[in-house]
Amino acid sequence: MNGGKISAFRLLKDNLARRSMFVLTIVPGLLVALMVVGLLLRSKAILAVKPLSRLLFSSAWHPLRGEFGLLPFITGTLWVTAVAMVIAVPISLLAAVYLSEYAPRAVRETARPIVDLLAGLPSVVYGVWGILMVVPFVSDQLAPLFGTKSSGYSILAGGIVLAIMVFPTIIHVSLEVFTSIPHALREASFSLGATRWETVKHVVLRKGGQGIIAAVVLGVSRAFGETMAVLMVVGNIPKVPKSLFGAGYPLPALIANNYGEMMSIPLYDSALMLASLVLLVVVLVFNVLARIILVRAERKAE
Amino acid sequence: MKKTLAVLIVLGLAGAGLAAVPAPGQPLKGQISISGAWALYPMVQKWIEEFTKVYPGVRIDLQAGGAGKGIADVLAGMVDIGMVSRDVHQAELDKGALAIAVTKDAVVGTVNASNPLLKDIRARGAKKDSLIGLWITGAVKTWGQVVGTSDRTEVQVFTRSDACGAAETWAAYFGKRQEDLQGIGVYGDPGLADAVRRDPSSIGFNNVNFAYDAKTKKPIEGLAILPLDQNGNGQVDSQENVYGTRDELCAAIADGRYPSPPARELYFVTKGVPSSAAVKAFLRWVLTKGQAFVPETGYISLPPDKLKKGLALLGER
Repeated sequence: MNGGKISAFRLLKDNLARRSMFVLTIVPGLLVALMVVGLLLRSKAILAVKPLSRLLFSSAWHPLRGEFGLLPFITGTLWVTAVAMVIAVPISLLAAVYLSEYAPRAVRETARPIVDLLAGLPSVVYGVWGILMVVPFVSDQLAPLFGTKSSGYSILAGGIVLAIMVFPTIIHVSLEVFTSIPHALREASFSLGATRWETVKHVVLRKGGQGIIAAVVLGVSRAFGETMAVLMVVGNIPKVPKSLFGAGYPLPALIANNYGEMMSIPLYDSALMLASLVLLVVVLVFNVLARIILVRAERKAE
Repeated sequence: MKKTLAVLIVLGLAGAGLAAVPAPGQPLKGQISISGAWALYPMVQKWIEEFTKVYPGVRIDLQAGGAGKGIADVLAGMVDIGMVSRDVHQAELDKGALAIAVTKDAVVGTVNASNPLLKDIRARGAKKDSLIGLWITGAVKTWGQVVGTSDRTEVQVFTRSDACGAAETWAAYFGKRQEDLQGIGVYGDPGLADAVRRDPSSIGFNNVNFAYDAKTKKPIEGLAILPLDQNGNGQVDSQENVYGTRDELCAAIADGRYPSPPARELYFVTKGVPSSAAVKAFLRWVLTKGQAFVPETGYISLPPDKLKKGLALLGER
């Protein structure tokens, strides 16, 4: 009987632990929901007077005249992120392939902590470095190369700085993925007479495909939200960008720059809250899409 | 004992009838938090240094981050005093902002010191219309159009990206607001100075204390000040030539030879009349004894009636 009591108590403990951990698990999910609700409530004021489509697809940004078109900022975010990914994805993937497949152990073990260190640098450091190196590089080297003029404060500069910021994320995650692929697979490939590169192409990249997508999604999410470093080099002109060498104005920069005007112009705070909501939704949609692609790829693989 | 005596003497000097000051013998104690405009930062630093020499029991936290941050913080109740380097808007007054003018400085146009046309720029200056063409309408595109020659070098126009008093005041010179200013937006006063220093064809603007070096009192290395051709006669007359040193410019701002805007008053903003004795004492000290430190820090003293108005806002005569 005594044993039964104890086991009932232990079961209760187990039950309690399960339930409390369940609560702790749903808290982060709830937080996202809470943020959406909070931002929605705060942006109601502007949604009440302007149709959402006008706010999202108008490119007129004149808060004083009551015009709050977010299109320049949404396109600015997409451009800068796209440029960053075009630069970062191939470079980081090849670096990860090199580190996992070709590099001698010593190189790999030195490179890892350095890559992780890059991930930990504060973003202002990247911003200052961007002003010192990337902005002049774009205005003095790249722009003349393409036969145009640029101040250097541009989408391209923002994209380059962002690319460097997402390198470590993508390299780190895909390196983990590659090293988790069983050695036996590679050996089978070698035994069929494949070269290292052929093995990488047909075995490592194929087997690690989903992991690579996950790594890229993580990188993109970081790129979407990055504020300070981009803001310092991107030029901040509230117009839909026309060229890589022109200035852009991503959503996070809009929010950070204008936080102070919130109180002075009617509806401004509401418009900024809406901008935050849009950013949150864009990131959410992107993550969900990536998840769907991932699940599909998994099914296909089975 | 000595300290108490010193405080007593100071309190005595500060004048009678100062209701908020604790009874003699009780040293003033408290905490004050301040945030906002970069333009006021060096001045307030000096004031805090001198004030806490007299009232060592008061602790003051100072943060810079732009006029917009100052007013947003103070209206949200996060700090006691917001530093604001532009006029306070009606919407902000409606939310309870109490603006007290404490000193004055100016925003000046800046160009790169190695601009090939620097001699012409110094001799002819820039008409207001040219500046409007550069920053507002976009009608002026080349340096030739600015100085009246056939030069075809494109002007690279810079402005500030963050909500700030400098841009708001520069725009006010054209009768406009910050959001009307065109040009590449750069973050922060030092950032803008840096952008102009790097590009020979560029034009920008800065607060006086970020355009001039505090030690040498000359424009900072690599930067030249853009003279304003105020009467539009196509040359910088001797009364318009006021940019050699910071002191020269400050004198011109004080006697009105440099126009206002872009000269402007700098404000302390509180949310209503402050109730804290320490905050009140600090504001009162700034408006009276603190004014003695204004010129040496590179700012312009306000006329006595302006200062009296500030004291009246605090409920003092």
